[in-house]
Amino acid sequence: MEGGVYLNLPKVAVLTMEGTNNEEEAFQSWRGAGANAEIIHIKKLENKIRKLEEFDAIFFPGGFSAGDYVRAGAIMASRLRATVMRDIENFVDAGKLIMGSCNGFQVLIELGLIPNIGGDYEREAALATNLSNRFEARTVYLKITNNTCPFLRKFRINQIIRLPIAHFEGRFIPANEDLLEEISNNNMIGLKYVDPYGKEVGYPWNPNGSVLNIAGVCSKSGNVLGLMPHPERVFNKYTQSDWPRGNEEDYGQLFFKGAVDYLNEKF
Amino acid sequence: MTDSFKVIKLRELSLGQLKKISRDLALGLSVQEMARIQSYFKNLGRDPTDVELQAIGQAWSEHCGYKSSKIYLKKYIFGLNSEKIYSQGDAGVVLLDDEYAVALKMESHNHPSAIEPYGGASTGVGGILRDILSMGAQPVAVTDVLYFGIRKYKNYPSPEFIKSGVISGIRDYGNRVGIPTVSGGIYYSDMFSPNVLVNVGCVGILKKDKIAKQSIDKKGIKLIIAGGKTGRDGIHGVNMASANLDSGSANLSTVQLGNPIIKEPLIHAVLEANESGLIYSLKDLGGGGLSSVVGEMLYAGGMGGVVYLDKVPLKENDMLPWEIWISESQERMLLGVEEKNVPQVLEIMNDWDVTSAVIGESVEGSKLTLYYKGEVVMDLDLDFVTSPPLYQRANRITYKEYKFDIPKERENYDGILLKMLSDPNIASKEYAVRQYDHTVRGNTVIPPFTGIIGKEGPSDASVIKINWENYTAISIAHGSNPFYSQIDPYMGARNAVDEAYRNLVSANSIPIAFSDCLNSGNPERPERMGEFISMIKGLSDEARELGVPFVSGNVSLYNETGLKSIPSIPTILAVGKLKDYRKAITPDFKGVGNPIYLIGKPEIEFGGSLYFRIQRKNGGRVPYSNPKVLYDRSERVLKAMDLGLVLSSHDVSEGGLALAIAEMTIGSDIGAEIDLTGLTFGRPDFFMFSESQSMFIVEIQKGKENEFEREMGGSSIKLGYTGGQILNIKLNGRTLINLYNDQIRSKWKEGYT
Repeated sequence: MEGGVYLNLPKVAVLTMEGTNNEEEAFQSWRGAGANAEIIHIKKLENKIRKLEEFDAIFFPGGFSAGDYVRAGAIMASRLRATVMRDIENFVDAGKLIMGSCNGFQVLIELGLIPNIGGDYEREAALATNLSNRFEARTVYLKITNNTCPFLRKFRINQIIRLPIAHFEGRFIPANEDLLEEISNNNMIGLKYVDPYGKEVGYPWNPNGSVLNIAGVCSKSGNVLGLMPHPERVFNKYTQSDWPRGNEEDYGQLFFKGAVDYLNEKF
Repeated sequence: MTDSFKVIKLRELSLGQLKKISRDLALGLSVQEMARIQSYFKNLGRDPTDVELQAIGQAWSEHCGYKSSKIYLKKYIFGLNSEKIYSQGDAGVVLLDDEYAVALKMESHNHPSAIEPYGGASTGVGGILRDILSMGAQPVAVTDVLYFGIRKYKNYPSPEFIKSGVISGIRDYGNRVGIPTVSGGIYYSDMFSPNVLVNVGCVGILKKDKIAKQSIDKKGIKLIIAGGKTGRDGIHGVNMASANLDSGSANLSTVQLGNPIIKEPLIHAVLEANESGLIYSLKDLGGGGLSSVVGEMLYAGGMGGVVYLDKVPLKENDMLPWEIWISESQERMLLGVEEKNVPQVLEIMNDWDVTSAVIGESVEGSKLTLYYKGEVVMDLDLDFVTSPPLYQRANRITYKEYKFDIPKERENYDGILLKMLSDPNIASKEYAVRQYDHTVRGNTVIPPFTGIIGKEGPSDASVIKINWENYTAISIAHGSNPFYSQIDPYMGARNAVDEAYRNLVSANSIPIAFSDCLNSGNPERPERMGEFISMIKGLSDEARELGVPFVSGNVSLYNETGLKSIPSIPTILAVGKLKDYRKAITPDFKGVGNPIYLIGKPEIEFGGSLYFRIQRKNGGRVPYSNPKVLYDRSERVLKAMDLGLVLSSHDVSEGGLALAIAEMTIGSDIGAEIDLTGLTFGRPDFFMFSESQSMFIVEIQKGKENEFEREMGGSSIKLGYTGGQILNIKLNGRTLINLYNDQIRSKWKEGYT
């Protein structure tokens, strides 16, 4: 994409490496929401060919970074930790935005960006194997429980939305009870799995067995969001599985438009 | 001379010794074929190296050479409606519009899956992705049609082990590589013990002016191998796939190992180089490895070549030249690149962390010369290597007497319908398909299951949008029915095409291309060969009338064990086009009080039907498809859809119209009141469960009956109305079926929560 005309648009880096595989739809979603998005291989960050400080937002896409043969997200996170962790910390401190979905959420947890209660980017939680012990690909109902996070600002509190999921390791569990309490008390839970009536119930509506039905978690200051569902796959309603039944809302794009609005206001 | 290769003293051998050499080197060639090779080398005045014999063994295998099938494919399939084909190579390509084209192919991975189901199925997915990539197309959808056995046979893996391995293999490869698995089917029958069939398909999108060519027609084009390193996995895979399966545990080393995490960046890198116009020619390494792909790429353009085998990146450094040349290691592509573009291509590969190396180049002439550490290890004329003998094998077409055992008429058919819903061939396949990511890439408009979230029912076709700029989309569906094919391979094939076509129409898309994956037994048996030819004729006769080309395909023979063989079964992958995906139609009922119509007329033709199968009765002859009727009805249905009259649509297949309507209640939770009074004068069960071809059930807008019936021109029958919590079917005031929506859904989803 040429510069010039786009100079004023927020710049977004969609990070990729072997095995990540939602970068194309993430790139399109950011672009559709009015950002100047670019797909950046993490090698270019490691080699200092590109710098994170050029960007206003980072998106960690889903997939199976490095095959997830160790633990989901672990290899991508350890490569970044070894080379650009300081840049990432500065990015967060500057109030810029970071979002990770699915494997991207797993990377955020491995990097210690979520929940980061202790403030020193230690790994404080895990996304464990689904209780059903199988990969789950379907649409879920979600309740918005925080709309101060820029990605969620276009939703109403308690609004019920629908998004696709596709994962094997999505069961959010913090390392201990205190952390869970901190997450709740600091209003960091962004989205919860619910049934069609908005009730927090078990499987199959909670597809992976996450504690407190947690589907997405924001950082304390709200500028980092990790979630298991995939807003980037449903930018417009026609890729929402139930659109032929008259679902009229474009849930996916609201995440990206909220973020772009915020960046336009702030930077 | 080093000991890395051997000269085989072929010229002095007797016929018996030739046979032994073929066996010892695992060439899989017959005595006659060996004699032909012997006389070739007698004329040359020298003996062959082991590398040369292995190369010929690969090219002349049934798998690579289509020795038994080519004559018939040429006669019946090639050239059929070919004016509609844009290009053919590793996959077939048709145009979607002025800018875009779609590439598709379906292929079998039966033999490896029978030996090592996980590796066999996953590398099947890997291989078909590369075929699409070879055309310069971005893969957008993976599909798979699976045929599992039920009974365990001694010395063979259990069907349960095969099934779980195959499903996990498809899941782990497809999900990791990030291409949605959106369509397919699963059949269960003892026909497939122990010969499991794994047919995998892939569909890709490309800009028509970026199509990659697969031949080299000038000298000095550099050959680059990119992707996975070459190892000892998958040696002699094509020879194994060209023979009967002798036992379940043999030949494990013939199955390749897949690695989707090498494939995923390879796809990006190759597409990026192609988009930048840096690739002269492109082909994937599949069966036969380098030996097949280098030979085919050069031969197709009338060129010869040189290859330096020691330049090929290896997994194991002590590999012998012949092993390097025929290894079927996965995740590899061959790129022909002009010398000036080589540095840029290597840089793109490096950017994506993809291993690549220049291994040779094209030269004038028709000779292919291989070097290994400075020595010539093969020097052969491509004319000879790539021209295996073609066989017109003895064949016998047998005409069977069809038995027809009339089942007793019942007061009530609730039990029958519930039994149909829970039949493993009908029941929800969510236990497998929900483990496949079908929304990755964010382009899936109609997924494999549609309806209210948590209650979804089956779709007829999946719909994938092709970009983020307009509303163009493609639809993807399959056709296959082994139960018809078992009784009548000719009509079974015709009905498979009918089913694939009507599935696409039902989603409001126009069918534009087929790919055929042909599965059969040992072609050296005349009755098998007869069946095989009947199947091909059936496909040809049906598709010709419909005006749709077969753009690609594959043949898998020798699906046979001892005296047990599979029937000749085609799996049809069909692709259609939607100008506006916002008009796509799904099977779940949309509203209450809307008229329900049957398009078509049920006949008494029950061979292979679900109704007779679940009662263990012979149903006589199979349904007969008439493509003229199918085409006419489809045009009318599509017109009515275009006019906005149609709210939902489902094709009638196994279980007849009763099961089709039951399936339409699943995803909608809307029941139906059906009254057959005055519609059927014979037995109502025959009317309800007939699988006559080319039929649809549609729900239309209230108050539009007259307009709709006019469009249908007499081929529609009004059956009743949508609504309520019950599916009720009655005749002359008598209730034939009365089931709650929930009962229907829970029976269909039994075993999956």
